[in-house]
Amino acid sequence: MFWTKAAYAAESGGTDHGPQILFSLFGLDVTSETTTMWGIMLLLAIASYLATRNMKRIPSGIQNVMEFAVEGIINLLSGIMGEERAKKYLPLLGSLFLFILISNYSGVLPGAGHTPGLKAPTSNWSVTLGLALVVFMSTQYYGVKERGLKYFKHFFEPLPFMFPLNIIEQMVRPLSLSLRLYGNVFGEEMVVAGLFALVPLIVPLPMMILGLLFGFIQAFVFTLLASIYIAEATEVHHH
Amino acid sequence: MDIGTGLIGLAAAFSVGIATIAPALGQGNTAGKAMEAIARQPEAANEIRTSLIISLAFMEALTIYGLLIAFLLLGKIA
Repeated sequence: MFWTKAAYAAESGGTDHGPQILFSLFGLDVTSETTTMWGIMLLLAIASYLATRNMKRIPSGIQNVMEFAVEGIINLLSGIMGEERAKKYLPLLGSLFLFILISNYSGVLPGAGHTPGLKAPTSNWSVTLGLALVVFMSTQYYGVKERGLKYFKHFFEPLPFMFPLNIIEQMVRPLSLSLRLYGNVFGEEMVVAGLFALVPLIVPLPMMILGLLFGFIQAFVFTLLASIYIAEATEVHHH
Repeated sequence: MDIGTGLIGLAAAFSVGIATIAPALGQGNTAGKAMEAIARQPEAANEIRTSLIISLAFMEALTIYGLLIAFLLLGKIA
């Protein structure tokens, strides 16, 4: 059936075989997702370097673009956690947003999924689970850093018997964060591969445009949720 | 193709099919209320639009979970 062709064309991690391993480095296997992640890191590093050397008072060119992006992210975060905390947690949340955005879009590049070495990193559950675990660990870390060990008291907050429910809620958060992002990117990729196996020419196009829209929305929602979790964990009530 | 494969195929189809019912109803309700809110107060349209997109993404995730199970099941038979 066309499904086998689509599965082969997408080279995705099904249940039979894992992601395609390119080579081994220091005993660890390097897959296409990893090399694409290196490419994205390089792209972001070079763009940041070019935007911040010879910084002018009135920006122009790439400095303008970067300032627009950073200001947009700060506005988004200020709505949730207030201006000063937004600036404090901007490195983590801004990096998450930019990385997820670019890696969602890297799946639309020509040859993504077919050529070895280019595959959207977020189309693999391992990557999104890693990102979600980073968010989980940072909420606990920042919570303890802001409120000390009394942070753990908030698990007993409304009523002490809610403790198991609160723990379960904390554990489910990385799962839902990672699955939402992974499902959106992987699902879009699989549907495009299936449509491509049917009619290679114009038909996959609407789905790819939807993929662009959803890629941005998912990056936005991931960052928003991460900021809500951190804001909730570092809530300090001033008397 | 034996009955086992057929049942797995059926399960995959039902998984994604049933998973779209409730989120679609929820998203329709949300969008309707958002339209009413924008009509009542057009100057708040930007904030309402942002909240609307976020809420739709949350409900979309529930359908995606069903789609993931369908992919996993299909991966077992093909």
